[in-house]
Amino acid sequence: MKRILTSALLWFIGSTPSFALTFEKPIRLEGGGEPVRVESPGYAAPCWADVDGDGLKDLLVGQFRNGKIRVFKNQGGGKLAAGEWLQADGEVAEVPGVW
Amino acid sequence: MAGLFQILWGGPSGEFQAAEPLVGTDGEPLIIPIEGPSVQTENICTRPTAIDWDSDGDLDLVVGNFAGSFYLFTGLGNGKFEPTPQPIMSGDEPLRISGVHSDPFLIDWDGDGDIDILSGSGSGGVQWSENTAGVGKPPQLSSFQTLIDPGEQISYNTPTSENDLTGPASSTRIWADDVNNDGKLDLLVGDSVTLISIAEGLTLEQFKQKHTEWQKAVREASAEMNSVSDDQEKLQEALKRIQSLYASKADLMSEERTGFVWLYLQK
Repeated sequence: MKRILTSALLWFIGSTPSFALTFEKPIRLEGGGEPVRVESPGYAAPCWADVDGDGLKDLLVGQFRNGKIRVFKNQGGGKLAAGEWLQADGEVAEVPGVW
Repeated sequence: MAGLFQILWGGPSGEFQAAEPLVGTDGEPLIIPIEGPSVQTENICTRPTAIDWDSDGDLDLVVGNFAGSFYLFTGLGNGKFEPTPQPIMSGDEPLRISGVHSDPFLIDWDGDGDIDILSGSGSGGVQWSENTAGVGKPPQLSSFQTLIDPGEQISYNTPTSENDLTGPASSTRIWADDVNNDGKLDLLVGDSVTLISIAEGLTLEQFKQKHTEWQKAVREASAEMNSVSDDQEKLQEALKRIQSLYASKADLMSEERTGFVWLYLQK
């Protein structure tokens, strides 16, 4: 009911979106004190998931080059560790055919 | 091969196996079928998201592509999928983002109990398609609307360092979660950007002048190449000229193509 009333109010005052959220200015994430960045030619693809099972979600970032994925472990308190390549079968994981 | 969907199976101790393509119940790798050369962009740059889209208890795959549309591979449980995908519709039309490179992330964005679709785009920014169906009903998706405007486009003749960047550039890839644990969904946005440094010894004014001249020369060489496309000898000469021009770009500038990850915290 609250949403219906809010939508009606927005319609009445002439705003277009029926549901909108607002955000703070974007923050560039850092891992180990350095900006999280991917290798050339770019195309950073983030994922937020607990890959080490410590109860904190970590940042994984895929990239175009060789389809590699870097893991930035969550150290708590809003801090991410420096990135390490995700391993698969004991080697750096690669997702083939990224295109 | 481009367009397949790779899986890194996880193990009990947190380890992963090497990537392998997901296959359908026909034993063939899953891929979006194409019906002609005009639609080849439908099955490249595919981006999968696993979600129980049809509420049957099995994970399905909702995938994006270069064309900006979306397909559903219905999951049958235990990593098995129907081999033929269905286009995801908005009314009677295929659902499409504004721009190319659809990048589906599925979540109940508006808190009404059904699953909506968020997407990045080749042009940057974040878009969302509201599901108005309600809990447990077949999805009814609205056209995409802008959630976050594309960032300011960086001019190709403007030196840009990473310290100049204030937000995501182009080719956005997204993830939504409550990153700061305040009970509100936030957005992680990956991007692609070209950082440009002026060659040593050039002032900004000199760089801009030389870059304008360089662009003019490239345009002329390209026009020449198009005009002599039937003459192999002249065509090769034109190609060499263009290659030479691109090689000379290093005299003006250096470029670094990279990408960053940005966090939008919800207010």
